[in-house]
Order: sequence, then structure tokens, then C-alpha cells
Amino acid sequence: MIFVAPFFLFMGAVFLLPLAFIFYTSVVADAFTLDYYIKAFTGALYLRVAWTTFEISVVSALTTLVLSYPVAYHLSRQPPKRRVLWALFVLLPFYTSILVKSFAFTVILGHNGIVNDILRFMFGPEAGIKMLFNRTGVVIGLTHYLIPFMVFPILASLLAQDPVLHRAAEVMGAKPWRIFWRVTFPLSLPGVIAGTLLCVILSFGMFITPALLGGRKDMMMANLVDFHIKETLNWNMASAVAIVLLLLSSVFILLLAQVRGGQLFGERH
Amino acid sequence: MAQNVRESSVGGRPGAPLAAAVSAWVIYLFLIMPSLVVIPMSFGDKDEFMFPPESLSFYLYGQYFFESTWMATTLQSFEVAILTTFLSLLFGVTAAYGVVRGNFPGKRFVTLFLLSPILVPVIVVALGLYLYFSTLGLSGTTFGLVLGHTVHATPFVIVIAMAGLRHVDPNLEAAARLMGASHVLTLRKVTLPLLKPTLIAGSLFAFLISFDEVVIAYFVSNTTTETLPVKMYSAIQWEISPVLAAISTLLIVLSLVICVSGTALQKDDEKGE
Repeated sequence: MIFVAPFFLFMGAVFLLPLAFIFYTSVVADAFTLDYYIKAFTGALYLRVAWTTFEISVVSALTTLVLSYPVAYHLSRQPPKRRVLWALFVLLPFYTSILVKSFAFTVILGHNGIVNDILRFMFGPEAGIKMLFNRTGVVIGLTHYLIPFMVFPILASLLAQDPVLHRAAEVMGAKPWRIFWRVTFPLSLPGVIAGTLLCVILSFGMFITPALLGGRKDMMMANLVDFHIKETLNWNMASAVAIVLLLLSSVFILLLAQVRGGQLFGERH
Repeated sequence: MAQNVRESSVGGRPGAPLAAAVSAWVIYLFLIMPSLVVIPMSFGDKDEFMFPPESLSFYLYGQYFFESTWMATTLQSFEVAILTTFLSLLFGVTAAYGVVRGNFPGKRFVTLFLLSPILVPVIVVALGLYLYFSTLGLSGTTFGLVLGHTVHATPFVIVIAMAGLRHVDPNLEAAARLMGASHVLTLRKVTLPLLKPTLIAGSLFAFLISFDEVVIAYFVSNTTTETLPVKMYSAIQWEISPVLAAISTLLIVLSLVICVSGTALQKDDEKGE
């Protein structure tokens, strides 16, 4: 206990107290008021941003799932030494600053960006697609950010499968495709569900990606907090939005805890 | 169609079918695409975007090192990250030791609380610190930044240290205690030396988390304490300049070094399982 105490106290002073400040600011202007929450739950802007946040999070998490599964599957089928090398392709972006990635995507996806240059080269001058400062840009940026968080839970549940099951299905005459859908995929579902929930939780609070790759219409809840702090100077409203965001995330965090059998961070006691 | 019968030995895992391998390769390419684009661009010699650059030069690196306040913000980031690494290692390793070796009522709950900043949206932490620090008069101070980054980085150090501690045989500590060593002496002379790879991996990770962190820094810092990521953020937002390619390349190299050494260190850990 004595070893846990220093950080426990630190967390109380630099994490819990600030959260209490947000809560206080969200309900006290000059006197106690619930106005800011009423606004957060009924105002058109707030409802729209909450919906945008939810939509972007779910779409990005599902896109991430589709792109991550082949990667996890490929990694799980490598001999351990080669797996470490291939995994670097997933780990390097995980360790790379989100600003580096956002900057790169503005160059790759922009009007005169690399993708549009290629499209115009292949299909003529009218072939450019708008992929930056709109929903597409945000989803591409978020998906790129989220893939590592999805790959590793799925990889863990693929590696936990006994290879004998695969061989048994094969010996009984099942075709590869059937083995995949009847054995491998169902057994990897815990990883798929945990990874998807984690990605939804991470997208909820996303700030940099929508700010740099999205347009005005793609504002997410984190950007709304920023907007109220830096532009309208409405600390109370910013706090109410932050508390709503925290509650929304908590719902999914609890779901994730449920899926992982109460071991949210893989901590074994 | 013969690609799925590549079992090397009895009980070995089957190989990946070609279709899966090809789609995985395409996605690997997508994953490293930002680096593939930014690195060649950083050697361009003009103040405009060129991919691939027409001629190679270090012009943009010169801009980074000698122009504007890029260097000052980089030094500020180093200062914050080094102090954060020190604090989060101190807090993180002691807390992990208490959780893995200790037994006290409410341990599960306390552990969840200590790790919760990993899943709480960073914007919420940032706003909380913003409001809290403006009351305490810590807004815009380097000290405030370090406190904020320590809350953010320590839970990750705890997770790494907990994993590392499980590979250290508690009997070795018990033996030291039996021979009359105090708790603290045992920790210093037995546990910490055995934890060395974990400690290095943890500090590298904590350093990188703080060095790259932008949301808390954006809310807590002011123009005199601005960190590199905060300056990059406003640069991308307002006047995307090619110097960002040079900075990004340097950051990619930093990530690569930390990523590869971290992976190498954790490979040692896995042998214990």
C-alpha cells in the first residue's frame, strides 16, 4: 500500500481535483444551474456535434476493423521471429506523432496532393476527389491512427487458438474459406469486440484529427470544448460538454470492462 | 491453391493464404505511407511542396534549426519530457510494485483508478488542468506542463512495469528479506536491477508520450512555454510550411529508434512466459 500511495495522492491532486473543477464549472455559473446541461442535450449545435462524434467514431472503428483483420491474421500466421519484423509496420505508426501523420495526410489527400495527382494523371483533369477538410479526411486519418489498437487485441485472440483445431477441420475435409468462417473467425470474436470498443472509446475524445483533417461540419465533441474555451470563452459550456463526453465514453469503457472480464488493461491479479 | 498447406512441423501454425497476405501488404503500405511521403519531401530545396523533390538539399533542416522559434520549442519539449520521464518512472514503478507485490483492501479498484487516465479522453484531462491551473496560477508554467504530462504518462509506465515485475521471481525478494534486507534495500538491490530492461522501455515510452503530447500542452502552455507539438499544430492549422516535413522526418527517426529498442527490450520479457 505504501508503494501505491505516492501516485495515488498525486492522482488525487492532479487528476481527480481537476475533474471536480470541470464538474463544478459545469453546474455553477453565479449560482447553481443546470442550464448548460439543458443546452448540451437540446441545443441544435450540441446534438449535431454529439451525433457527428458518434457517427465518425463508429464508421472509423468499423473501417479500422476491416483493415486490421487481414493484418492481424497475416501476423498470426508468421513464425515468431518474422512476426516481430512485420509487427514493426504496425508499431512504427503507433509510435509516430499524430501531428506528423496529420501533416502527411494533408499533403497526401489535399487538392493538389499525391492521390489527386495520380487520379488526374490516370483519368484526366476532372478526376480529383475532395478528401481533405471533410468527413473522408477525418475517417482516413482516424483509421490510420486506430489500426494498431485493433490489430493487437485481434492478434492476441488469433494466437490463443490451438493450431490443432485448424488441422482437425482440415483433416475432416473443410475448405480453407469454411475453416476461416466456422473456426478461426468465431474464436477471434473476443479480440474483435474488445478492439472495436477500444477504437470507439479512443475516437470519442479525438481532437487533433478532426481539427486538422476535417471541415467545419466535422467538429467533434473535443473540438467543441476547445471552441468554447478559446473562442467563446464560455468555460461553463465547455465543462458541460466535457462531462457529457466523459459519461458517453464511460458507457463504452464499462462495456469494454465487461468484455474483458473486468480486466480493463490486461492486469492479472 | 496450395498456399494454405505450408505447415512446417507437427502442431505448427498454418501459413497465411496468398489473398490474406496481399491485402495485409497493402495495409502495411498504408500504415507507413505518411513516412514514405514526408521523408523524401524533407530534402526539398524550396519553400513549396514538392513530391518527389526535384533536387536534394538540407535547406528545410536549416530552416528548422536556425529560423523562427522551432529550436526553442524543441528544447522546451525536451525539458518537459525529461522531467516527465523522471517523475512518471518514480511514480509508476513504485505504484506497480505496490500493486503486483502488495495486498490491500480495494486493490482492484485502486489499480483501475491509477490506470484510468489511459481511457479518459485527453481533452477532458486537458480542460480539467486548464481550469485547475488557472485557479492555482500554474497556467503557462513548465511545472504545470510536467504535472499534466506525468498524469498522462505514468499509467502507461505502470502497465509496462507491472508486466516486467511478473517476470521477476518473488522468491529472490523473499530471500533478500529473509537475510535481513529492508523493503527499500530489497527494492534497490534486487528488484530494480532485475527490472532494468523494463525500466529502460518504460522511460523511453514515457519520454515519447510527453515529447509528442499535444492536447494537454495546447491547453496548459502559453506562448513562452509552447512545446514543439503545439507549434506544429498551429503551423499545420494556419500556414502549412514545408519545414514541417523536416521536423516530421526527425520525429519519425526518434519514433523509429524508440520503437525498435522498445521492441527489442520487450522480446527479452517474453522469454519468461
